[in-house]
Amino acid sequence: MVEFEVPEIDYTDYSNRQLAAVPLAVLAVALLIIGGWYVATGYPVNPGLEFIGGTELRIDVEDGDARAQIDEAFAAEPDSVRQVASDGSYIITFRAGDASTSELESQANDAGFEVRAIDSVSPSFGSDTQFLALGGLLVAFTGMSVLVFAMFRTFVPSVAVVASAFSDVMVPLAMMNLLGIELTLGTVAALLMLIGYSVDSDILLNNSILRRTGDFYESTNWAMRTGVTMTVTSIAAMTVMTIAAWIFGIGLLTAIGIILVIGLLTDLMNTYLLNVSLLRWYKYEGVKR
Amino acid sequence: MFEKIKENYRVTLLIIICLLAAFALFSPTMAPEAGVGGEDADARQGVTNLQYGLDLAGGTRIQAPLIGMTADSVDFGGDSEADVPSNVADELEGIEETDVLARQEFEDEPGTVEVVNENVTEEEFAAAMDAAGYEYGDISTGVTQQTRKEAISVLEGKVNEAGLSGSTVREAGEFFIMVEVPGEGRQDVIDLIQERGSVRIDIYYQDDDGEYVTETAALTQDDFQTIGTAQQDDQSGPHVPVTVRSSVAPEFEQLLVDTGVAQAGGSTCRYEESPENTDPCLLLVVDDNVVNSFGMNPGLADSMRSGEWSQSPNFILTTGDFEDAQRVAVNLRAGALPAPLNIEAGTTSFISPTQGEEFRTNSLIVGIVAVFGVAGFVFLRYREPKVAAPMVVTALSEVFILLGFAAALGYPLDLAVIAGFIAVIGTGVDDLIIIADGVMAEGDVHSRKVFDSRFRKAFWVIGAAAATTIIAMSPLAILSLGDLRGFAIFTILGVLVGVLVTRPAYGDILRYLLTDK
Repeated sequence: MVEFEVPEIDYTDYSNRQLAAVPLAVLAVALLIIGGWYVATGYPVNPGLEFIGGTELRIDVEDGDARAQIDEAFAAEPDSVRQVASDGSYIITFRAGDASTSELESQANDAGFEVRAIDSVSPSFGSDTQFLALGGLLVAFTGMSVLVFAMFRTFVPSVAVVASAFSDVMVPLAMMNLLGIELTLGTVAALLMLIGYSVDSDILLNNSILRRTGDFYESTNWAMRTGVTMTVTSIAAMTVMTIAAWIFGIGLLTAIGIILVIGLLTDLMNTYLLNVSLLRWYKYEGVKR
Repeated sequence: MFEKIKENYRVTLLIIICLLAAFALFSPTMAPEAGVGGEDADARQGVTNLQYGLDLAGGTRIQAPLIGMTADSVDFGGDSEADVPSNVADELEGIEETDVLARQEFEDEPGTVEVVNENVTEEEFAAAMDAAGYEYGDISTGVTQQTRKEAISVLEGKVNEAGLSGSTVREAGEFFIMVEVPGEGRQDVIDLIQERGSVRIDIYYQDDDGEYVTETAALTQDDFQTIGTAQQDDQSGPHVPVTVRSSVAPEFEQLLVDTGVAQAGGSTCRYEESPENTDPCLLLVVDDNVVNSFGMNPGLADSMRSGEWSQSPNFILTTGDFEDAQRVAVNLRAGALPAPLNIEAGTTSFISPTQGEEFRTNSLIVGIVAVFGVAGFVFLRYREPKVAAPMVVTALSEVFILLGFAAALGYPLDLAVIAGFIAVIGTGVDDLIIIADGVMAEGDVHSRKVFDSRFRKAFWVIGAAAATTIIAMSPLAILSLGDLRGFAIFTILGVLVGVLVTRPAYGDILRYLLTDK
């Protein structure tokens, strides 16, 4: 039978610098990608329909060459066309300004497509949403930081938690650019959830090292056994959810799932490399000062 | 027996809450009230009392702002709420009085003036205010709270009059109005709510010099006592029967006689074919567009001339086709929107009922798959059914309790709420793992005392993690970021239920299984 055992890492083999180097390098690359994207496109991440406006249709196309039918039916050039695996319907998006939603709807009806769903967002509404989403992320992150500082009341361990949560949000953002995932309300929700999720294992680690009696490495390994189990369970659940939601073409759940999987993987790295090294420095050198 | 319940009060509490949730979910006494129109609402209901939102039931949702600008702190200079709009409208080219709204809460206090026409710029508005001699504070985009409230009640009237059951109309965010209509197509809903729906009767006639002129607003919405439903028969075609208020009927009657609509032998209207060569006509005008024009039959004309008609002032508004008749009836009953909706500047979303049904089944499958993912992994990790099985059951009970909440609150389930359930399972299992590991660490648990101290330690972490999740989610629960509100609300509710009820109960179950006590 397959078994899952959390491996024990012998942290004594590595210096703090070595441990912290990997997650910091990853974070630096992520920030470079986001920064570069901002310089090149004006957005840190490609905004989706909900943020810049546009129209999305989900339609059934009768047999035959679906792509040709779609190209013929709509006067405007679609921004993207994707087929849903489970039911064979097509999800077509148009940029705002290329065609009005009512035009698109009547063109789809005239072509004999069965319209399953239509979503339209105006550019002005989209920019309001952008502002709200960004504000929400900032407030959530600040709130989390304040709470963490209030709970631990020591600088270095609190910074460790906040830094790792920051990286947990930034790395998925950079990965979205690389994988061509657009920022939607679903991905914003997932990023907020990550702030909550990622803090779980960090708090567990901090608590175990700072409050439990016993040697640093013992406490670390103890926290790691539980923490890794938690995170890997969530990753497993989110991976199957993402695949199932993608097959059914449920965009919201797919977006949430992908971001959580990437973020939780990042969190494993950050918690057990970056956080551990910061805490070890604090425990052995920081406290003495 | 009693001792045992007291000892395991956490489990007892969990069972009680689960029973309450089951009651909320399945009891017919908790069934949601049928919406206006009834039949549809019943058909959409299944075994449970759960209500489904748009993505899972099908329908149309439209969010749009009202068009308009507001000048605040306006000094009315003694003019009434009725005078100000006409004075301001006079200074704006091509703007009717109905496009200007003046509001004053108390006499002699500053009020607001709104212009609700998209063709007017802020500069033109400011110039008109100056020209009309009203001092004001600032001009800002958007209409007043009062106008939004009126618009909402008119829109509610419209969807109800159109027989669209289960619809909701409410404010969304600071400027937007949201209209949700289950089971209806996108374009139909837009057609219903987009027009302002001001209906009036004009009279088109020749004045003393033989020139054709129009007497506008001979009758307006408020002048009707009763409004019948749209009908169709062989004799008069599609029409809406109406009664004119007795207070205005004699005046209207006299006007019809004077203008010649009610001339001896009746009148035959040729407004559409040859407007320069016709008998006087009545024009049915909706939102400044002439919908239909008609003359008068000899019988009715005679009774007007004798003054009999105003004793029982019924007549019918004929329309070109039945759809127009329905539109006119709905508009007359619901009244006119104080300001038009700018649908182009909002969002629309339509899900067909079949798609909604598929989303319902598919999202259920996705949820179950996620639970199996968690369960499978937990079994692999612990290889001890005693630990893993209650873990899965506890996580599921959280979702069950949340479903009970949704049913009790009448909160419609949508995809975002289901995403919230999945998030709750995720955080829930995390916490249960912390409890299990915390309790089982450092050798076997023998006494209740050891168990309790370990449990308390584990619980500190859980509480801290729950607090951060709640903090992280609260902006979404407050901001109106589309569907995500439901996601955040149910994630927060789930975390609270988890920390206060289900996760402690799991501790008790685990203790029972591990300490044999």
